[in-house]
Amino acid sequence: MKETKLGEFEEVLLLLVGILGEEAYSFKVAEEFESQTKREVSIGAVHSTLNRLEEKGFLESEMGQATAERGGRRKRIYTITASGQRALETSRDFRVSLWSQFPAFATGKLNFG
Amino acid sequence: MKKRPHIPPPLAERLLQRVLRDDLAEEVLGDLEEKFYATVEKKSARRAKLNYWYQAMNYLRPFAIQKSRLKNSNTQAMLQHYIKISWRSVSRQKAFSSIKIGGFAMGIAACLLIALFVRHELSYDTFYQDQGAIYRMTNQWKEGGEVGRWTNLQGPLKTVIEENVPEVDLVARTVLWSWGNAGSNLVRKTKSNFNIDEDGFFYADPELLSILEIKMVHGTREDALAEPNRMVISQTIADKYFSDENPVGRQMVLNDNPEDTYTVGGVMEDFPLNSHLQGDFILTLFGRKSGPGTSGWCCTNYVFYTKLKPGADPGATEQKLLQVRDTYVMDQLRTAGKAGLNEMQEHHSYYLQPIADVYLNSAEVNDNSQHGSLDLVWIFGAIAGIILLLACVNFVNLSTARSIQRAKEVGLRKVVGSVRSDLIVQYLSESVVFCTIAIFLALIMATIALPFFNSLAGKSLDMPWFEWWFAPSLLALALTIGILSGLYPAIYLSKFNPSEVFRGVKGAGKNTSFMRSGMVVFQFAVTVILIISAIVCQEQFRLIMNKSLGYDKEQVINILGLNTLDSAKKVALKNEILSVPDVSFATVSDFLPVEGGATHNRNYWLAEERLLNNGFEATRWTVDKDYLDAFGMTLVEGQNFSGITSDRFNIIINESMAKQLALQEPVGAEVIDMFDEKYKVIGVVKDFYFESVLGTVEPLAMVYGTGNEVLSVSVKSADIKNTLTALGAVWEGFVPNQSFKYAFLNQRFEQMYGALTRARTLFMTFAVLSIVIACLGLFALSAYMVERRGKEVGIRKILGASVSGIAALLAFDFMKLVLVAVFLAIPIGWLLMDAFLGDINNRVELSWGLFAIAGLAAIVIALATISIETLKAALTNPVEKLRSE
Repeated sequence: MKETKLGEFEEVLLLLVGILGEEAYSFKVAEEFESQTKREVSIGAVHSTLNRLEEKGFLESEMGQATAERGGRRKRIYTITASGQRALETSRDFRVSLWSQFPAFATGKLNFG
Repeated sequence: MKKRPHIPPPLAERLLQRVLRDDLAEEVLGDLEEKFYATVEKKSARRAKLNYWYQAMNYLRPFAIQKSRLKNSNTQAMLQHYIKISWRSVSRQKAFSSIKIGGFAMGIAACLLIALFVRHELSYDTFYQDQGAIYRMTNQWKEGGEVGRWTNLQGPLKTVIEENVPEVDLVARTVLWSWGNAGSNLVRKTKSNFNIDEDGFFYADPELLSILEIKMVHGTREDALAEPNRMVISQTIADKYFSDENPVGRQMVLNDNPEDTYTVGGVMEDFPLNSHLQGDFILTLFGRKSGPGTSGWCCTNYVFYTKLKPGADPGATEQKLLQVRDTYVMDQLRTAGKAGLNEMQEHHSYYLQPIADVYLNSAEVNDNSQHGSLDLVWIFGAIAGIILLLACVNFVNLSTARSIQRAKEVGLRKVVGSVRSDLIVQYLSESVVFCTIAIFLALIMATIALPFFNSLAGKSLDMPWFEWWFAPSLLALALTIGILSGLYPAIYLSKFNPSEVFRGVKGAGKNTSFMRSGMVVFQFAVTVILIISAIVCQEQFRLIMNKSLGYDKEQVINILGLNTLDSAKKVALKNEILSVPDVSFATVSDFLPVEGGATHNRNYWLAEERLLNNGFEATRWTVDKDYLDAFGMTLVEGQNFSGITSDRFNIIINESMAKQLALQEPVGAEVIDMFDEKYKVIGVVKDFYFESVLGTVEPLAMVYGTGNEVLSVSVKSADIKNTLTALGAVWEGFVPNQSFKYAFLNQRFEQMYGALTRARTLFMTFAVLSIVIACLGLFALSAYMVERRGKEVGIRKILGASVSGIAALLAFDFMKLVLVAVFLAIPIGWLLMDAFLGDINNRVELSWGLFAIAGLAAIVIALATISIETLKAALTNPVEKLRSE
């Protein structure tokens, strides 16, 4: 069986796909990742992860429109599936629950000094 | 469309198109192009191109590239098909295939073992960090185009070199011959009083540890030997005597003599197996008061090792040494009363021998250590090559022999549309498959045979399973041999013309049968040569063993380890032993008439010729009055030591020395040695071999004196076991704290000829191996021929041919070839063996009988192999062969 846990990178990409909506294809996701996180990433790395998320069933994809700046080639548009959304929710709930158990934070007396 | 000034790098695009999964190519190229133009706008075209390459490289990930370039392609399908067909043809004829593969595997296994051996021999002393700077210092004598080299140098030379040759970083003397405590000794810890016999002692200066980069487990290279009476022991010895403590600072007593107490200054790792220098105890020469380390300019007792400074040129250093000799050493030698200094000035020089050359000794330096033989490495290598060739020949032979069966297959393939190159690829891949199976088998065989091989070659080799190069080189071997030995069958088989094949014209044509005959001849010729070699070695060995030596080696038992006893006790022990029944004589001495004992050489002159010439060198033994009797040596003139002649200024010489002195009447003559000691000759002993029988008997002078180490007992007994028990009991009574150790003289004698014994065993083993391979081939060939001529045999029988007639008819074809092989092999074998034996003394006669035996053996074996199948064919009921038409 495929691993159904989300890694950090996977989670971010999944969210970016959600954010980009109709424009969610490898190049755009990579650009968005770089501008949001200020971290360098290659399109190949993003594509590979999107591909893996699709195999896990968190994403689905179809070929979209061709545009001129792509040399007339079509692009693969990714969309989040229901199970992808569930995985994101589980991941978020898990973190929130962890944060709420963190005494310094839960009581609002986080001491950074 | 807007004209774009920049385009993505076409090469990168092409690369991606090639390697990417087909369904991904479009979107990926699209994405990358978009990225490219985005970068062109934001940064520069150059950056964009660079980035495109970066992105492209980042797409070379498992998910994106094609699973296999061959997937679903025709090539792969055909390869699978070829392998399947190979497997089917293997299993269709199991006996034939197993002979084919088994013979091949045997050849490869032999090759593997030999390759391991050769690699080991060539790896000696190649593991130093400063490989190029480490040398052994030797003498060199050039006279009339001849060069002689030997190791031993004068002790004080060390200081002279250290002070005057700046190129030399370190220099160390060693004493490797049995002087003082070098060699074997009885050892005990100070607390214990039980003496144990240990081997592997030698003396060295402290610098040796650094020169030879000896790895220390405890202690340091600088300090371990840098005080008097220190020694370094090996890890093995440390574990044996000081199992769970650090031995540094502990003491050991040698030969029960408190004056020979040594303090362990360090523990070294055992010498690597491929180091020419071996030993477990290094005794320091530092600060010694007498014996080793103290001898002056008179004598050459030391082997010098040296490490040069980085960048120093050995040739220039040799020149420098020569200058140093002329300015410092010559005067010293003159003072020491050396003769022949002018000749020395003219012919003598120094030679620095690279450490890696010491073991195989290509420079032919005369020393007293064990050497590998470059010749043996070559012989081994050649044998490996020949056996591999035999195995390949077998393979080729058996493959083409079966061409009839494959002919129809080839015909059909061609009709269906195969081209010749495809067929060649098919048969080549088939032979690679065979070869791979054979190599696996060979690995198993070699692993099983390794222990035997080790005892045969006197080595302890291991299979290098985990060396990085092992698996790849086996793979390369499988491919190379597979392709080489598959080439001929592939070309031959693929040549068939389908129409001829189906009409039944094309069988194994004249063409191939000639080729096949040639191969059988070659195989048997090689086999006969190997048999000849084995027999010659065996005969030579027998000749040596039965040679009358001038003394009786069969009845002498040597009792060892007497050096712990004081002289009174030695006499008492000797007398006690003489009272044992069957013991006729006993003598205590340090000199035995076999190699590997002590040797002291001095120069001698007739007393009146002392200053006229260089004299001649003779071996000098100290013996007592029972020595000649104990060994059964005969006096030809004069008398033995006894009564008043037992004087240390009387000597007995051998005939060879008498000849050197060139006297009519040697008895009574006066002789003088290099230390100006004068002797009177009282007797001449008949020449006996005290060194190798393969050499000549050198001059020998025996002076009167008492020995130290070995008690030789001459025994006339039918029951040696009983006598030994009695001797053991006497020993126990005298020396309870040391075990009774003895050796038969004839065993020591045999050990001298270890190299010959090994050569004999080797030739025999490989002769057997090549016979087996050749016979396997012959067997399969005869089986095949019988199968082919089955109907002919049936018809002949029906027409009244006798069983013996048919058997002879079938066998004749092959025996013809074997006979040709024998006649080819005999002269070659004769030449080879003649060269192998060289100009040794007491050489075996290469008689015709010997070659006849080898030839006959091959013929008989071949006949036996063929008869299995031919007789079966001759005995079969003709109905069996003829009914199925």
